[in-house]
Order: sequence, then structure tokens, then C-alpha cells
Amino acid sequence: MSASRDRILAAAQANKPEELPLPTVPLFGGDATAERFTTVLAGIGGTVVWLDGLASLVPTLQKLFPDAQNTASPLFRGTVPVDAQTPTGILAAIDLAVLPGEIGVAENGAIWLPEANMLHRALPTVTQHLALVLDQRRIVATMHQAYALLPHTGGYGKFVAGPSKTADIEQSLVIGAHGARSLVVLLY
Amino acid sequence: MKVALFVPCYIDQFYPQVGIATLQLLEKLGVQAHFPAQQTCCGQPLANSGCERDALPIYKHFVDTFQDYDYVVAPSGSCVYHVRKHFDKLDQTAEVQHVRGAAYDLIDFISTVLKVESLPGAFPHKVGLHLSCHGQRGLHQANESEMTPVRDGQLSRLLRSLDGIELTNLNRNDECCGFGGTFCVSEAGISARMGQDRVADHVRNGTQVLTGSDMSCLMHLEGIVRRAKMPIKVMHAAEILNGVTS
Amino acid sequence: MNHAIRADKFLLDADRTTWHDETLWFVREKRDKAVYAVPEFQELRELASQIKNHTLSRLDLYLREFEAAAQANGVFVHWAADAAEHNAIILDIIRKQGATRVVKSKSMLTEECHLNPYLLQNGVEVVDTDLGERIIQFRDEAPSHIVLPAIHLKKEDVGDTFHTHLGTTKGESDPQRLTEAARQHLRAKFLAGEVAISGVNFAIAETGAVVVCTNEGNADLGVNLAKVHIAAMGIEKIIPRLSDLGVFTRLLARSATGQPVTTYTSHFTKPLPGREMHIVIVDNGRTQQLGRPDFRASLKCIRCGACMNTCPVYRRSGGHSYDFTVPGPIGAILSPNIDMKKHASLPFASTLCGSCTDVCPVKIDIHTQLYKWRQVLGEANEIPASKKWGMKFMGRVLASTRVYGLGGQFARRALRLLPHGLTHAPSFNAWAVARELPTPPKYSFREWYAQQPQPTSQPTPQVPA
Repeated sequence: MSASRDRILAAAQANKPEELPLPTVPLFGGDATAERFTTVLAGIGGTVVWLDGLASLVPTLQKLFPDAQNTASPLFRGTVPVDAQTPTGILAAIDLAVLPGEIGVAENGAIWLPEANMLHRALPTVTQHLALVLDQRRIVATMHQAYALLPHTGGYGKFVAGPSKTADIEQSLVIGAHGARSLVVLLY
Repeated sequence: MKVALFVPCYIDQFYPQVGIATLQLLEKLGVQAHFPAQQTCCGQPLANSGCERDALPIYKHFVDTFQDYDYVVAPSGSCVYHVRKHFDKLDQTAEVQHVRGAAYDLIDFISTVLKVESLPGAFPHKVGLHLSCHGQRGLHQANESEMTPVRDGQLSRLLRSLDGIELTNLNRNDECCGFGGTFCVSEAGISARMGQDRVADHVRNGTQVLTGSDMSCLMHLEGIVRRAKMPIKVMHAAEILNGVTS
Repeated sequence: MNHAIRADKFLLDADRTTWHDETLWFVREKRDKAVYAVPEFQELRELASQIKNHTLSRLDLYLREFEAAAQANGVFVHWAADAAEHNAIILDIIRKQGATRVVKSKSMLTEECHLNPYLLQNGVEVVDTDLGERIIQFRDEAPSHIVLPAIHLKKEDVGDTFHTHLGTTKGESDPQRLTEAARQHLRAKFLAGEVAISGVNFAIAETGAVVVCTNEGNADLGVNLAKVHIAAMGIEKIIPRLSDLGVFTRLLARSATGQPVTTYTSHFTKPLPGREMHIVIVDNGRTQQLGRPDFRASLKCIRCGACMNTCPVYRRSGGHSYDFTVPGPIGAILSPNIDMKKHASLPFASTLCGSCTDVCPVKIDIHTQLYKWRQVLGEANEIPASKKWGMKFMGRVLASTRVYGLGGQFARRALRLLPHGLTHAPSFNAWAVARELPTPPKYSFREWYAQQPQPTSQPTPQVPA
């Protein structure tokens, strides 16, 4: 194995071109408003709902998801306590996960979700429905600004933009492939 | 200004009227172009087939033929693109560099060198413009749909200046016609299908006269139109512009 | 068998060809709309190109940096010189776990290495979890597109396949209901998965993380439910900095499907305690391509598939006509590096229209490389002999004014005199299968010109104001 390592690295060294410069990437500007974020998210199958402060989170969720039985969240006491050790079978039965997002991106409706906010790494995709709670002041214009705000990406983290979807059958868009069937972003 | 006319081999043999229209149009615009009789071809058919080495004598012959002219004008953007881009295989002598820079597609020459943007005259027909890929994406004579939704270009500007003309809005503004040089026989099936689709777009959108500035695409499209007996007339842009200009 | 023959088979079903062309053109149109909406899009392409060029110019150094960072994260890093070694490494990891149930998200590299049949032969159940990949896995077919693997199939085809394999109602072809059936079927696989294999979209040298982009969430679901994650990547997936992702994530999905970004852009950096993460770094011909100055830019590819969606030939011949893991224009410049003889017809499966180059988010000069591969193939005698000798003959004719003039006269006269049935016989005139030949004129341009009174001097042009 290490023989291949040495061979590959030697070949890469021998065959690479003369060194070329690494460009500086500007931050670019752009519209960082909640309006743009809302429009873009709607375009990719997500929904923005405004909270009247964090206190209204639970009643808002009850209105949005009246049928959710199994809920998990670090923001309020859900019906299912979840942590990194929660077994797969319990995770698989969760209807709704409500997680705090860190950064919103107006140009594409994405929200940065670090591992620390997930309870379990699989929770944001295994749950049937996902709600992300975001401070509207944390919306930036583009991915450049979003990455500039991330000191590191932790052990695991991801941008989530809308619900799970596929167009693998005849390019017909179907929401709810393997991950969450819906995504609501609760802005405050 | 010494201007040579380069009439690509297939135009010389099959579409002399396009060469004639080019010569006459240039004359009406005040340019007396000369046709050096020793000219043959730019070598593109060989090079595109993977036989660039066999094309080198043709390249040399091309440079020898045209090196004493300020401009070499051809009614075929594809040949011009080949000279500009692929004559890099020759030793870059002053003559070679000169000829590469001096080669112009007719419409490009009229627009860029002569700075003519409109022509007096009328052509009261619905005209479908076929953008040749080499003219558009290679020589940047028109906006590419890959870059911008703005549909503009040298030839559409010239045509739009004619009285009574209506330009067809196509569903696919700049899809390749499928000619592709030897591709048209080595991949004859795909080539024909692309041509049929291109013509269908024109038929669907009401083109009466199909035109462009590259006769090679038009030769292919004309072959399709005639085989299917479609009510479309295929003309090189030089023929239209020469016909309406006095 | 060459591309043209396989293309002709595809073309036999004219309606299906129309449907395939229009479906992919629809994706191209979505891409255009997304691209037009970003004012700095062309600037981003240039930046992406420069970042990739820079990375290739320091590739060995970045690979070392990446390896060290990944190891510091507690990740096992493996190196595979070729497909066989890649497969053996992965099987070994799976065996050490005593595992038999593997879920795999999309990875063109594992397709390239033919990992699935290898694992199946060795008693490992490997389930492709991307919907499109799962469909073609059921059908035992190769993907026909790198982003839309089942784009050659109609919903009725998928309905038949799911009826056979998943027990859906016969005749059911509604994409919504078929996708739901796949969701239920694959959930069970995810929950039972012991090892998860994923591809890699980007590998960040400074952090040692791999980034995987999906819409379905299948990579996240598989990896985060299984005990072991194996990420397979080609050496060209490296980018230097986390911040470079700002550029690439803005380009990738817009170019691929017209989405502003993929649903999930997942950064896998460290395994959880008690779990394992492995990264397999694969060469399989890539360092050789790096050593070809005319073709090394093909290694900049981020596998968005935009060149396929825009290619008028691909749209009308289908991905399988390329008979290579990566079809379309990018496949046509990657494949001869792997097997020049087998893939000799692919660089000729193009009109050189250049649209691929114009949509490429990392500015690979695809059509120029197609042209250059043609020269390499010509020199290596990998083009048909008839073409080769025909071109040599043409070279002689066209380098001489006299011979050219005589040949042209002869051809026109022959065309005029011979009967239409003979000049247009499809058996020896491929042009005439679907096209008329030009009507031969009585005289050539040069013959006409010679009859004209020649100007004595060349006047200065009078340019209209």
C-alpha cells in the first residue's frame, strides 16, 4: 500500500506542470436579506415561517406539525431524547427534528448546520420532517461569506438547502427522497 | 488596403454564387477584393480528421498565397477560425502570424474592419439565422447562450437593419447544426438528426429564408431541406446582403 | 464497435431520441437560468479554473498535506494505484469489520473501478442508494450520465423495474409513487447498513475533510448510520482551502441541474469515537494524464455533467453510446488516456461546436482537447485506414493548385452526369442517407472569376460613414 502511495506521489511530482498561482477569492457582494433567502428557499421546496421571538417556537411548531408524535430538539423538550448514542431504531421513528441553524445563505437558501446542533449525526436526514431555527441577522449573501464565517467545520457539518429531493425519474422533481420530506426554516 | 478573397474549396466547387456575392458585396462597400488563383483550402478537413501533419503543406500553401495581403476575407467563419486557431502548428514566422491575424470572416470584416452596422435595402421575408459554432463560439461574432440571454451578433444586426425583414425567434438560438466537417459522414446518423432538428426549429417558428455566414453549415442544412422538400430557401448571408445593396 | 454504430442504434427509436434530447435540453435551460442570475458567474469560472490549475501544479504537495491532516483527524488514509488495488482495499476494510451489508452513495470512481461486481463476487451485498443508481443497479446497466444515471429511462421503464424488484403495482409509473417505494425500500437498507461507501466531491488539503454533495441525502443517511465510512476519491479531487468551496459550491449545482446549491453539502472530517472513517486515494491513470500537457486540464473536472446536457451529440446518442464510465464530451477526452484503442472513436463523436467548453464551470478547453486527441490518434494510426489514406491523398491535392482545379472539375461533372440513384446511394455515400448533395453548378467560382475583367489596381476602400 505504501508502495502505491510513494509511486503516486512521485508520479504526481514528476508530471505536474510548473507552479501556477493560487488566486485570492473576493467575497463579492450581494443581497443578504431575509426576503431573498425566503424567495430562494421557496424555489427549492422549503418554507420560511417567522417566529415572534424564540418563545413562540413551540406553539408555532404545534400549529405547523399537529400530527408529529415523535419529536427531537435541543431547543425544547421533545418526546424523544436523542444523543450521539441513540440507536438507529429509535432515530428511524422520529417525525420531526427541530435544530438550530448557524448561518443562512441568501443566494441559495442553505443553512449551515454543525454537528454540535444535530443531537445525532443522522438526525437531520433520518427525521421525516426537519425544522431549522435561524436568527435572521445570521443571513449572509453568498457561500463566500458563509465560509468566511466558519472557523472550522468540526467533525461533521453540512449546509442544508431545502428538503431531500430527486429528479432521477425522467427529471420529474419529487420532494422527499431519502432524507427529510420537508424543511421549514423558522426565522426570528 | 489590399484585400484577398478566400473562397473555400467547397464554395468554389459547389456554391460559386456565394463567392460572387461576396466579391460584389465587398465591391459595393468600397473594397476591391482580389482572388489569388493559386488558393486551394485551409486544411481543416484533414486536421479535424486527426491528420494535421498531412495538412501542413496546405497551411504553408495558404500562407504563401495570402501573405502579401492586408486582409483575407472568406464567406466561411469555420475556415477563418481554423486559420486563426490551428495554424499555430506552423513555425510562427512573421508571414504566418500576419496571415493568421489577417484572416476574417466576411461578416466580421464588414462589421469590425469596415465598421458597417447597417445596410440600405429591403428584404421583406421571415429570415431564420443559423449561427455557425465556429463563427459564434470561436470568433465571438455573436453572444453565446451559454453566457448570456442577450441575443445579439454581427449578422443579426446587419440583417435587422434591412427594411421589412423579420428575424425568426428560435427555440434553441445557437444549437449546432451537426455538419462538423468529416463528422457529417463519419457520424452520419447523428449529423443528419441534428440537421433535421435544426431545420424543424426553423419550420416551427416560421422561417422562410434560412441564412448564415458559414456556407458549410448551410450546405448541410440545404441538403436536409431539399431531401425533405421543405418550403424553406437556404441562402448565404452574402447573397441576401448583396442582393439588397445597390 | 465505434460510437457511430452505437449512436445509430439509439437513433432507431426516433421518438425516444427526441424525448432524450428534450429532457437533457431542459436541464441545460435550467442551468442557463441559474447562471444568468449570478452576475459574477464568469468570474467564478475563472477563479475555479485557476484554483484547479494551481492545485494540479502542486498536486503531490497538497496530497501530502491532505493525508497528514486527515490522519490527524483520526482518519485512515489508503492509496490505490489502480482499480484492482482500490477494490482490494475496500474489500479488506469490509472484511475486517466482518460486514456483509454495504450501502453506497454516488461515486463515479467506484463505477470506474467496477467495485460493485467485485464486492458481489466476494459475498458482500452492496446497495446503491442514489435513486437513479439503484434503478440501474436493478437493471444491471451502467449509468448513462454522471449526475443523472438513469436519464436514458422513461418512467414506464422504471415502473416495470420496480414492479419486478420492489413489487410496486404493475403499470405504476408515477414518479412520486415510485420514489416513495424506493424510499421505503432503501430506508431498510440504510438502517441495516454496516459499512457506507461514498464518493468525494472535494477534498480539502488544509483540513483533511471530504465534502460530498447530494440532493437525496443518501450519503449522509448511509454514512451516519453505519459504523464505518469509506470515501473513495481520485487524486484530482483536492482543493487547497476551505474557503475555495465558496467558489465551487456556487458553480457545481448551478452547472449541473440549475439548482442554486445541492440540498446537502456535507463536510466529513472526523469519525465519531468508536467508529471508523477511511479515505481511499486513487490514481488509476490520473498521474499519467497529469503528464500530458495538452490533456491535463481534464483533471480539473468537478463532474457536474453540464457538458453532457449541452452536447448535441450526447443528447441524441445517449450515454451508453460512449461505452465508458464517464460519457459525453468530458468522457471523450478522459477515455483515450485509459485505453486509446478501445475509445479511439470518442474524440470524433463531436462536431467541435464548443458548447461544452462554454458551459464548463472550471473552463476545461474540452473541444480543443477533442481536436488534439484526434491528432494523437491519427499519429498512432488509431483512425480508420480509409480515412487516413483519403486524408493523405487530399493533402497532396489541396497543396497543389493545379491538381485541385482538375479534381474539382471532375467531381462536379461526375455529379451532374451520373444518375441520382448512384450519386446518392447510401451504401457508399453516407452524406446522402438523409441529405441531398448540392446541385453541381456548371462552373466553379474560379472559372467564373477568370472570365471577369481584372481590376488593374486595388482601390482604397471607401467606408460608408
